[in-house]
Amino acid sequence: MFSQVIKDNFLGLRSNGWQTLALLFTLVLLAPIVAIFYVASGNSEGLWEHLIDSVIPRYVLNTLGLMLGVAIVSLIFGVSTAWIVVKYDFKFRRVFEWLLLLPAAIPAYLIAYTYADFLEFSGPIQTGIRWLFGWEKATDYWFPEIRSLPGACILMGAVLYPYVYVMARVSFLLIPSSFFDVGLLANRNIFIAVALPIARPAIAAGLALVLMETVSDFGVVEYFAIETLTLGIFNVWLGMNNITAAAQIACLCFVFIILLIAMEVISRARQKFADTTKKSKSISPTKLSGLKVAGCWIVCCLPIIIGFFLPVGVLLGFIVKGYSVDLNVELGAAALNSLLIGISVACLVLFLSSVMLFTANYKGDFLMRRLVGLASIGYAFPGTILAIGVVSVFGHLDAAIAGIFSNFFNLKYSGWFGSGIGLIIVACVVRFQAVGYGAVSRGLNQIPKNVVEASQLLGANFFDRSVKIVLPMIRLSILAGGLLVFVDVMKELPMALLLRPFNFETLATYLYQFAKDELLEEAALPALMIVITGVIPVIFLNYTVNRLTRT
Amino acid sequence: MYKIPLSMSLLGLFLGLIILPTVGLADLNIYSHRQPFLISPFIEAYEKESGTKVNIVYASKGLAQRLQAEGELSPADVILTVDIARLSVYADKDLLAVVQSSLLENSIPPHLRDKDNKWFAFSKRARVIAVSKQSSDVNNIKDYEDLSNKEWEGRICSRPGSHVYNRALLASILHAHGYEKAKKWAKSLRDNFARRPQGNDRAQVKAIQEGICDIAIINHYYYGKLKFSEKVEHRSWADNVDIIFPNQGNRGTHINISGGGVAKYSKNKKEAVKFLEFLISDKAQELYASINFEYPVRTDVPLSEELASWGKFKEDKMPIGKIAVLAPEAQKIIDVIGW
Repeated sequence: MFSQVIKDNFLGLRSNGWQTLALLFTLVLLAPIVAIFYVASGNSEGLWEHLIDSVIPRYVLNTLGLMLGVAIVSLIFGVSTAWIVVKYDFKFRRVFEWLLLLPAAIPAYLIAYTYADFLEFSGPIQTGIRWLFGWEKATDYWFPEIRSLPGACILMGAVLYPYVYVMARVSFLLIPSSFFDVGLLANRNIFIAVALPIARPAIAAGLALVLMETVSDFGVVEYFAIETLTLGIFNVWLGMNNITAAAQIACLCFVFIILLIAMEVISRARQKFADTTKKSKSISPTKLSGLKVAGCWIVCCLPIIIGFFLPVGVLLGFIVKGYSVDLNVELGAAALNSLLIGISVACLVLFLSSVMLFTANYKGDFLMRRLVGLASIGYAFPGTILAIGVVSVFGHLDAAIAGIFSNFFNLKYSGWFGSGIGLIIVACVVRFQAVGYGAVSRGLNQIPKNVVEASQLLGANFFDRSVKIVLPMIRLSILAGGLLVFVDVMKELPMALLLRPFNFETLATYLYQFAKDELLEEAALPALMIVITGVIPVIFLNYTVNRLTRT
Repeated sequence: MYKIPLSMSLLGLFLGLIILPTVGLADLNIYSHRQPFLISPFIEAYEKESGTKVNIVYASKGLAQRLQAEGELSPADVILTVDIARLSVYADKDLLAVVQSSLLENSIPPHLRDKDNKWFAFSKRARVIAVSKQSSDVNNIKDYEDLSNKEWEGRICSRPGSHVYNRALLASILHAHGYEKAKKWAKSLRDNFARRPQGNDRAQVKAIQEGICDIAIINHYYYGKLKFSEKVEHRSWADNVDIIFPNQGNRGTHINISGGGVAKYSKNKKEAVKFLEFLISDKAQELYASINFEYPVRTDVPLSEELASWGKFKEDKMPIGKIAVLAPEAQKIIDVIGW
């Protein structure tokens, strides 16, 4: 009896404890975003009148144009290839399954740098054309300009489509083959009538991630001089010395993102319906031969070549030509730092997402679920702006701690957050929480509710239920999410640049000091190292997707 | 069941360890807007001379916000930037200490330092006009103002106007001619562009060689860097252009600076001032020229052979801080005309 009371109280406390913990995490994740809004609430000294009269229409149009273009490119690349590798069986299909993921390892700014180099006047293509036709000057002929809005759409689409591809492929694989049989009997096109409508929510979820990355991109738009809202944020902030108005534009971007999130939430609500029959056998691929195989190869090769092999080839070309092959200590240290931050952030994101989502799903109410979802919007802000949000919050925290220390204990506190790599880690967790959140919540949606309820009836407490039942069931989703976060952190540049401690380089920051001056040759080796470290988890990701869908 | 808490606590321990501070107390800590590979020769020389360990964090944007957020606890001692507008942001936000150094005051001309002694320039970069050797009429260009003439339609290349170097140039024109004239100049200049503004200054020199345009506005040291590049290709771009220092008959060529100051809450101010003084020593002033083809601020330091061969030029002696004051106005013009 007595022990029962203790147990109840203990468990009761603990379960409240979980909710408190989840809420605390939510607060930490939202604090930098609130800080940005706080900055935006200041007085922008009447700058908006000027902005609306001059640049805002341009910024908005370009941003929308970029979003639309990247969406189209990544949908075409992602959905077509996903469908082909699911529906058809052809030679090298298994190889293409993971090759198609490789472009995810290429940072968007890097693909912009390499293509500008490859397609420019003195690059191999134009040189070849001039040699072929005997032209001499750039004005002698017309050549498409890669540093343009369409160029940016194609290049960003080519490295971002894997988000769509992964989601679409898993979704196609989970459709029961009986659905397709019905479609065939009704003499309908099974891709358009069956596969697309059912996979739509998953594709939309992948697309939402693609578009968030597109809106917050600075590297590509700066290099190509495309005046998007994000470029505008920096013009207003640094050019007009007005961070208030800059933060206000950042919050305008946020409106775009809220629309996207709404899209994802709606899509997730429908996804539940699609998953109810997932125990059935999935479609068995049709064997192809002859010209049709070649057709599949072309469709699959195109995005891989554009998004991976060509940029990697350009980088390798620099290294082979002998520029900066010195594998120095600095570069080694940078690689280690990148790995350290990548692994730490991936673990933290998964831990936070799991605690927050488990609690919200199994113990939380409507409000809590919304709050937890809201905490994953850091992805929507450009890295530098988010970094400023992070540094303001934790700078004040440090100052507050220092105040307490000196007033009450007469001790000197020299700032804990500001002096190590803590801030980079916090900033990356805030930014990439969206990726972990998406992975865990998709995993949770696949668990039949009755399993959890049964364990509850059998008396398992929340912690046991989470660790012994839920966690093993979604471990592959978690792993996949962790890998995506890791790859994202390896590529991350602006936050690491601003928030790092003294004498500290990651691969991306090391690369940047050269790339900033368009000294691509010197940047080739660290760039290639980012790609290689990104490729390994990407291949592993393919393995987990296969395990998820083929067992 | 206890497996997870254990691994979590290990993770916590691990994170705690890596977040621990890594900076020694007696070190000199620098926040820099200048790329590491451009400063490291200075750092090495200083470390050798003084025996002080120097730590650097480099970022192109946001360091002022970081310094502001860190407040009194900031570890930064010295701030280095490559543009006057960026430098004066620190002064505006009251993040710089007043430096008492007669050495700095006596060595640096008054228009290149803050009147309150909060910031100082250490090197100068001139915004020059690169012209193609292939065409002869371009040698008629004497002033920035000439670039707005109709005759150069479709022949000028530039990086985007929002870049600090162009913004600063426009600010100097605002200072010389006032808003209406500056806006008209910028608009006519834009109408003369051969292509949408893009790339950096180096890319403009390349565009001249490619035959896209005949005239480009660049910072002078890019020419030097290209001319002495280890890449044949880069040297050929430079070989193809001549450099014009504009406005020699009137106010002089627009210059920008690289400079620095001492952080307000520096725990090591004495050392920080010593470092700034090192930057105007003969040795460091010569380094500016030899590493990056920049002009020393000290007029009594002989120019490097290469810089001397480009000839002496007259510089616009407007107080350099005025550029920062006018920069937001310049950005507005750039927004309106779409440069």
